[in-house]
Amino acid sequence: MSIEIQGLTKHYGATRAVDGIDLVLDDPVKVLALIGPSGGGKSTLLRLLGGLERPDAGSIRIDGTEVPHDEETLRVWRRRNGFLFQSFNLFPHLTALENIVLPLVEVHGWKRGEAGERARDVVARFGMSAHLEKHPAQLSGGQQQRIALARAMAHEPALLLLDEPTSALDPEMKAEVLDLIEELCQGGQRIILSTHEMGFARGSADAVVFLGGGKVVESGSATDLFDHPQSATVKTFLGKVMKW
Amino acid sequence: MWKVALSTFVSVVLLTTFVFVVWVVATHDYHWEAIAPYRNNLFSGWLTTVGISLAAMILSIAIGALLTAGQVSGHRIPATLCRVYVEFIRGTPLLTQILIGYYLVADAIGWDDRIGVGIVLLSGFSGAYFSEIFRGGLESIPHSQWLSARAIGFTEGQIYRFVVVPQAVRRVLPASAGQFANLIKDSSLLFVISVNEFTMQARETGTNTYATFEAYLPLILGYFLLTFPISLLSRHLERRYRYEH
Repeated sequence: MSIEIQGLTKHYGATRAVDGIDLVLDDPVKVLALIGPSGGGKSTLLRLLGGLERPDAGSIRIDGTEVPHDEETLRVWRRRNGFLFQSFNLFPHLTALENIVLPLVEVHGWKRGEAGERARDVVARFGMSAHLEKHPAQLSGGQQQRIALARAMAHEPALLLLDEPTSALDPEMKAEVLDLIEELCQGGQRIILSTHEMGFARGSADAVVFLGGGKVVESGSATDLFDHPQSATVKTFLGKVMKW
Repeated sequence: MWKVALSTFVSVVLLTTFVFVVWVVATHDYHWEAIAPYRNNLFSGWLTTVGISLAAMILSIAIGALLTAGQVSGHRIPATLCRVYVEFIRGTPLLTQILIGYYLVADAIGWDDRIGVGIVLLSGFSGAYFSEIFRGGLESIPHSQWLSARAIGFTEGQIYRFVVVPQAVRRVLPASAGQFANLIKDSSLLFVISVNEFTMQARETGTNTYATFEAYLPLILGYFLLTFPISLLSRHLERRYRYEH
């Protein structure tokens, strides 16, 4: 995918979450990782890319199409994509199966039968078939996140946006979910994710963007950024997080 | 340790009070034969209360839902109007509302069906309380649910219908059951516009026979028979719609 971001700005009161981002990424990029310190603007940029927030200024183009600005068209934009949050965000009153079927039926206009079949397929692929009829509260964090990922993938999204998908999980579950995301990357799914998993970003992302203070500090291929960081900020950050 | 002490203290106080009250009430010298001729009046009064309560329950839920919708609509004028209505109704005595509502307002539009007017007035009153219960329920649904529902591409209406309201319903059940009980007991205030409901009949029986306790005691049984099943039903529904395990 190609991404073109110009003068992108989003402030919350006095907080400059995204503070004038310019970024151009070329076509071969399939998986883009956003890294950097907490509060650096990763989540906000991801939400702007996914059309969950509207920028105060600037524009985003993905594959030449500008992310729309009005609520009506933004909804269409969101439907094309899949979004996964750090804190699972499944609907607690619905079973795992219903969590996946409901959007297919009500948002994408599928028939119930087809939606059920698709949901079962995706869930089977993610190794969660035994848990279809359970409610989220009966599932572990890792299982919830896999169901949430299945929900985000069920309609074959043009772009999958993952906001720190493993930050709320313990190490074993982290690995399970990362394996799954890695599989999606291998399968050619286009993904933009924010993450603190440096190993994963390095191994799976085609391009990495380092955000700090709402600005792009550095961007490039995973190898460039991890092996030959240019800026002092990135060097210090990597030095700290790679130490342990 | 302090938990044991506290719960023992509460248990002892409750038990002694209960035993004492029951003993005092049970050992009173009653003359049930005095009110016997009025038993049909009392029963028909009870039926009137049941009818008024049922109708007002349905209507007050509808009014409460509309007031809530107005308040969360995001439009300033309806939101403010609903807010003012709720504050005014909750902040003034029902008794006065019934008097003004029947003798001035209903009279002005030429409506003199006491029971009909009574049901509307009670519902208008109780609806204000329901709207606060419903609004609290909607607002208790975490922001993250809205976020993921929006990310999926639901419209605002769909978010309410599929995500927020189904979760809020369970949360408002206990408070709603309490409000239903209030509504049933509040219906006794319709005596001021001479609706022949349960309490009104008990008053008349008491006045005619001078057997005050004998006339009023049946109210305990009559109202409890109505409020207790609601409480049981609410608990049953809460269990049935429980999804946190």
